[in-house]
Amino acid sequence: MARSRCARGLTLAVLLLAGLGVARPASANPLDAFGFGSRGAAMGSAAAADVQDFSANYYNPAGLALARSLEVSLGYFRADSYLYMNGQNNQVDPVHGLVGGLVAPGQLFGVPFAFGLGLHLPDQRLSRVRALPQDQPVWELYDNRNQRVYLAANLAVSPFKWLQIGGGLSFMAATAGSVDITGNVDVLKVESSEVRNQVSADLTAIRYPQVGARIAVNDRLAFALVYRGQFRLTLDLDATLAGDISLGAAGTPLTTALYTLQTDSVNAFLPQQVVVGSSWSPIDDLKVDLDLTWVNWSAYVAPVAQVSINLDIPPPQGGWPASISPPTTPVATAVIPIVMHDRVVPHVGAEWRAIVRPKYQGFLRAGYEFDQSPIAPQTGQTNYVDRDRHAFSAGVGVRLVKLTSVLPGDVRVDAHGQLSVLPTSLTLKSDPSDLVGDYTAGGHIWNVGGTVTVGF
Amino acid sequence: MRSARVLLTAVVLAAALAPARPGLASPEDIFGYGSRSPGMGATGPASADGFEAAYANPALLAGLRDRKFTLGFQGASFHLTANGPGLPGLIPYDEAKGVTIGVALPIPFGGILKDRVGVGLAFYTPTAVLVRGDILYPETPQFSLLPDRAQLLAIVLGAGVDIGYGVRIGAGFSAVAQLEGSVVAATDATGHVGTRVEDQLIAVYAPIIGATYDLPVGKPHTWRVGATFRGTLAASFLVSLDGSKLTSLPIPILNIGGLAQYDPAQVAVEAAYDTKPLLVAVGATYKRWSQYPGPLEPTLTCPSTDASCSALSPASIGYHDTVAIHVGADHAIPVTRSLTAHVRAGYFLEPTPLPSTLPASTAYSSSTHAVVDLPTRYFDATRHAITAGGGLEISPVTVDLYGQLHLLQPRTETFTSGPVGEPGTSSQASVGGHVLVAGMLVGVKF
Repeated sequence: MARSRCARGLTLAVLLLAGLGVARPASANPLDAFGFGSRGAAMGSAAAADVQDFSANYYNPAGLALARSLEVSLGYFRADSYLYMNGQNNQVDPVHGLVGGLVAPGQLFGVPFAFGLGLHLPDQRLSRVRALPQDQPVWELYDNRNQRVYLAANLAVSPFKWLQIGGGLSFMAATAGSVDITGNVDVLKVESSEVRNQVSADLTAIRYPQVGARIAVNDRLAFALVYRGQFRLTLDLDATLAGDISLGAAGTPLTTALYTLQTDSVNAFLPQQVVVGSSWSPIDDLKVDLDLTWVNWSAYVAPVAQVSINLDIPPPQGGWPASISPPTTPVATAVIPIVMHDRVVPHVGAEWRAIVRPKYQGFLRAGYEFDQSPIAPQTGQTNYVDRDRHAFSAGVGVRLVKLTSVLPGDVRVDAHGQLSVLPTSLTLKSDPSDLVGDYTAGGHIWNVGGTVTVGF
Repeated sequence: MRSARVLLTAVVLAAALAPARPGLASPEDIFGYGSRSPGMGATGPASADGFEAAYANPALLAGLRDRKFTLGFQGASFHLTANGPGLPGLIPYDEAKGVTIGVALPIPFGGILKDRVGVGLAFYTPTAVLVRGDILYPETPQFSLLPDRAQLLAIVLGAGVDIGYGVRIGAGFSAVAQLEGSVVAATDATGHVGTRVEDQLIAVYAPIIGATYDLPVGKPHTWRVGATFRGTLAASFLVSLDGSKLTSLPIPILNIGGLAQYDPAQVAVEAAYDTKPLLVAVGATYKRWSQYPGPLEPTLTCPSTDASCSALSPASIGYHDTVAIHVGADHAIPVTRSLTAHVRAGYFLEPTPLPSTLPASTAYSSSTHAVVDLPTRYFDATRHAITAGGGLEISPVTVDLYGQLHLLQPRTETFTSGPVGEPGTSSQASVGGHVLVAGMLVGVKF
């Protein structure tokens, strides 16, 4: 019997390792910064060993197997950034949108089984790729990385009462395309130019895995291990413009031009992560959770477009008109690699069931997270601005039981607030003639939201 | 039991991680959707079962009684031909392959809503791409309405409610992503070129609304009629390219893009006769193709106040509305107390919305330095689709297979001859070919 159990455990371990083996690098994620669902956000995102609602799709898919009834959740959050350089607000875009998902538990061959779906749907867009000149100051981890949808589907099982295992995929899309433009450009009236284009563009699927396990030592202590894959959003665009340049609509051309542009961008890079988590209940109504998340920031790819341009415009017979300076092929910019360091991010959270009544329960929550900036000091030409982040969070929750005959389960309403403080500090440039120069940077980010969950 | 646990754990992990590698599938509007419908002539508004009802008719989700997770694979290959002088004959296209994920969830309300509400989620992700936008020059021979439309991520979510008296209603949506963005190239003070690239994926949605009516009322029904409305689902590719800051030579800002994917608004009606061992469904779908503007958009848009502007505009094709006919049947055969087999067959007729005579397109000719007419070589033909399928139910597992053969009804298309010196001077094309589709889905109730 012991041997059989051993073999079973080995099988599970091998399966889990196999799952980890297929994992490939993934990318940027608003949930990393602001949490997923109000309960997790209020507890400093320390939830890997203490989650069984829809947010388990992100925090630890294994937790889905702990659910005992169908649950549907819907919520909203908004994070407003007040980030400054030299005292000037950099107007970093807010992150806001719906969060939600479901957990559908059941049994297969007598074994607890669950399917989960998690979604963060930004109000304005599914994702945004933005590649800027590398010397332009930008809050690298907050400006654009969080502007994207999160969609994950997971399965989980609990082969033993003390063990839950889950895994699944998250989905994103990258863009690759080529553009061919031909015709005649009328330099006297460019809007009348007789040009047309054809496009071959693909949004290619990016799927990156997340897998997790949870082990309950006893009713009061549990540990968790989670792996999240890495992803990158890309925009690769080739454009070719070939045609005549003329004075006036179709007529004798001045010259014939060939202009090619190739731009390859990587953005919204989300590094792979490994989470080790624990949850401890010293008394019945109190839970204390601790997660440590290793983030592979050193694999980060700078979101700068690699540009290749060729401009071939022979001078017309008799030379260019005096009003036009002869165009020349510009010199491509050399991309300076961004230097980042791997980090271990601690998350701590606590939940106190402060009110216990037959028909309702009340919860108080608090948490803290410390993100040491992974970006090396920006003393050179690049200006990837970042600072350490201290995130303090708190929240409340109410659970209402058997509200009506139509809702035989419970209804949970949770709210959270989070204040991220990025202490202001000075960046000194090594070159006194640097175009940007020395600067101070810092600020804070408010994140508030609420989630409603209906359990059946 | 323990070995079952280990096996189940393995299956769950494999299912969760396997789709990280290429899979397959193809869009619902061309081939039908789900476990049963594609084998039954893409019927569904009165006969869909399980998660496939999210697309076919969300009202039928009200009848869900079991939670079910379905994972499937689908592939389609295209053999499409356009024959005539200067035409290529066989036009090669990639196979369309993808993965289907379906979830059917009865919502366990109590009281008056008990056993009356269900939710379905249908998710189809092509193996290679989420959205393919091949927006080619119109003189390039192409079947613009068929192969690339099969390369599209489809997300469908629906819910249905049984309101009693034999009436069920439902609503949901289809969602797809479109791309918008800009590329600005410019030189900095040091003479180096840099670009600012920004693109966004925007979700676009199309509503799905449906209703069914069971007869006789108050007894186990034998007849059901259903109707579904689906809104227009269109995905664009719109990127502006600005190179004007690279030189003092005036270069216009170019709008690169077009309509990469398009499903017309449609209304589907169906009647189904169900005696439990035998299910027969007959329906029709009206598709409003006349609103389809075509795949191309102008590279330069003339100011509305400039009547003398001579920028090129795509030809107006004049697509017309169509009515598709669907017929299908499913026969359940009890094999043992725990095993039931299903045999399915069907047919559907999908008329082409493309007119047989196509207007000329225009382009600037680098050889004559003038704007010339070019043939618009868009090809399509009415499709006759013969379908077959089968299934096994061994509780809690179901396995469904289907195949489709689409035969393009041969026809002749007429278009403007190409100018002298341009390849392809034929003014007519003989269009035909076939499409093969196959799929397998495995579902598990939990």
